[in-house]
Amino acid sequence: MSEQHIIDGCIRHNRKAQQALWNQHSGYLLGICMRYATDRPEAEDMLQEAFLKIFFNIGEYEGKGSLRAWLRKVTVNTAITYWHRNLKHKHQVDIEEYVSTEAGTAGFEEDFCNAEDLYRVLGELSPGYRMVFNLYTIEGYKHHEIAEMLGIDVNTSKSQYSRARAVLRKKLEDLARMKGKFIQ
Amino acid sequence: MDNGLENLFRNKLEENEMVTGSDLKDRFMRRLGRREFFRFNLLRFNIYYLTAAVTVLTVAGVILFSDSGTDSSSFVPEGQPEYTAETTANQPAEDGPEVSSATEGDRHDAVKQSTGDEPGTGTESPAAEQRRETELISSVSAAESITVSTIRRAQTPAMTSPVMVLSADASVSSGCVPLHVTFTSAAGDDVKTTWSFGDGGTSSLRNPDYIYDVPGTFRVTLTVTDSRGRISTASTVIEVSDRPVASFAIDKDRSFEEGDKVHFTNLSKGAVDYLWDFGDGTFSTLSDPSYRYGQMGNYDVKLVAWSAEGCADSITVSDLFADMGMYIRFPNAFVPNRGGPTGGYYNQRTDEESQVFHPVASGIASYNLKIYSKAGLLVFESNDIELGWDGYHRGGLCAPGVYVWKVRGTYRNGQQFIMAGDVTLLNY
Repeated sequence: MSEQHIIDGCIRHNRKAQQALWNQHSGYLLGICMRYATDRPEAEDMLQEAFLKIFFNIGEYEGKGSLRAWLRKVTVNTAITYWHRNLKHKHQVDIEEYVSTEAGTAGFEEDFCNAEDLYRVLGELSPGYRMVFNLYTIEGYKHHEIAEMLGIDVNTSKSQYSRARAVLRKKLEDLARMKGKFIQ
Repeated sequence: MDNGLENLFRNKLEENEMVTGSDLKDRFMRRLGRREFFRFNLLRFNIYYLTAAVTVLTVAGVILFSDSGTDSSSFVPEGQPEYTAETTANQPAEDGPEVSSATEGDRHDAVKQSTGDEPGTGTESPAAEQRRETELISSVSAAESITVSTIRRAQTPAMTSPVMVLSADASVSSGCVPLHVTFTSAAGDDVKTTWSFGDGGTSSLRNPDYIYDVPGTFRVTLTVTDSRGRISTASTVIEVSDRPVASFAIDKDRSFEEGDKVHFTNLSKGAVDYLWDFGDGTFSTLSDPSYRYGQMGNYDVKLVAWSAEGCADSITVSDLFADMGMYIRFPNAFVPNRGGPTGGYYNQRTDEESQVFHPVASGIASYNLKIYSKAGLLVFESNDIELGWDGYHRGGLCAPGVYVWKVRGTYRNGQQFIMAGDVTLLNY
């Protein structure tokens, strides 16, 4: 089935086309959800909601840009909705997370950790930090766009980003140190 | 600023693909199917919708028909019972109690059959209608014969006078302690009546009230002596079950805060089933439940405990958390707003950047906070729990570093607190 066939089938709610779309893209989209979720079950939950949105709204995809980019956008939006729904957790920030942002500026070796490690480190972050970090670093949004999407202040977005960064750096340094020990 | 961290995440995660298992796919497809089904769409009007429509219509039809069916059967047995009651009432007199207990069994069968036929009434033939008529008649007659047999069974073998029909009737035959029972003698007023209640208590009233306050099985004997000195006795058995004792405890040593799980320890005795009412509209049937209140407050917690015999006891503790939820805690660092003083009034919900130094507290009645610099200068004082320190002193931002605070005050139950510590004013 070509991509256009699959899209047309999904618009008609054809089960085969839906399965084909799932088979082709669910791995990629789960990779995105993992970045926004605390753990794998939450990511799978998000993924299912994203696909429900996709299958009910695929008619809105007009062929501008790649299908993959559209799917990614829907998934990120789902993650934001998910975050809004769990907004009450937003203010739960441990005091221990207030790490000085000046700590350590050394670059990281690419090879010392894998995607699994990064997902885990992200998952340990508080949801607000994780959200801002993802949107800014990987999705490439500007702080004022993030502030609008999340309904927060621009300065909040900036400060959460820089704190998220500091926490991540500290966690990765710990991880690198631990792995170094294992090698010796 | 280096971009090592950003690049690491971008390179490793941006295009990363995960493996989605087939079970996740199956779960999702089922969920999608349900969602599509409930979002009705004429384009997708398929066999499933057709089946659903047919099912709904069928069910509606069956309900309609069964309604008219029960209506028509209700008038049938009228006029019949007098006749059949007469014949069966004679029967036990001739054949003894075995027969009457057999008819009792028949009665249950008859009831079962007639209710079992209900759903199929839409297609019932006149023959079936006829059969049910006869069942109803037999059930009525059986009910008549039961009254006869109970009278006979209450008569005791020790009856010395064949003339007098004596029975010892109790308002209840079993129950939970303390059990109140009203006894009734069928004998007339011109006799001497003696009740012995089986636990040592006696009465000479004809219809006495008696309260059993200890559990056990008691044989109650009624002795009647008539004017000619003839003695009749009758007896019955009362079973009194013990009540359980409902009791529970919570961990009182620690203060409870928003979002904490409360562990209830069940200390009930002699109970097998429980019902907890947490006071906020939530219930549990677990023995030792843990519950997370959506909001801390004063709740009336109730525990009902049932014994295996169905006896209940309950305990309610009002305002369980009244002297809980009283705490005060301070953070050890804050980051003042560099753009200028914020005034220090904060909101727990909006001060997520921690621009104001303030305690997390609950149940505070009075409060005084003083903050000193390391040189001993008083830089801030507040008597208002809602007013924290914004990091400014006389309009100028204080230098980053460690400050010492001291707080004194009272909780709403009058208990005093005095605490001191230090806080780091961060600058970033």
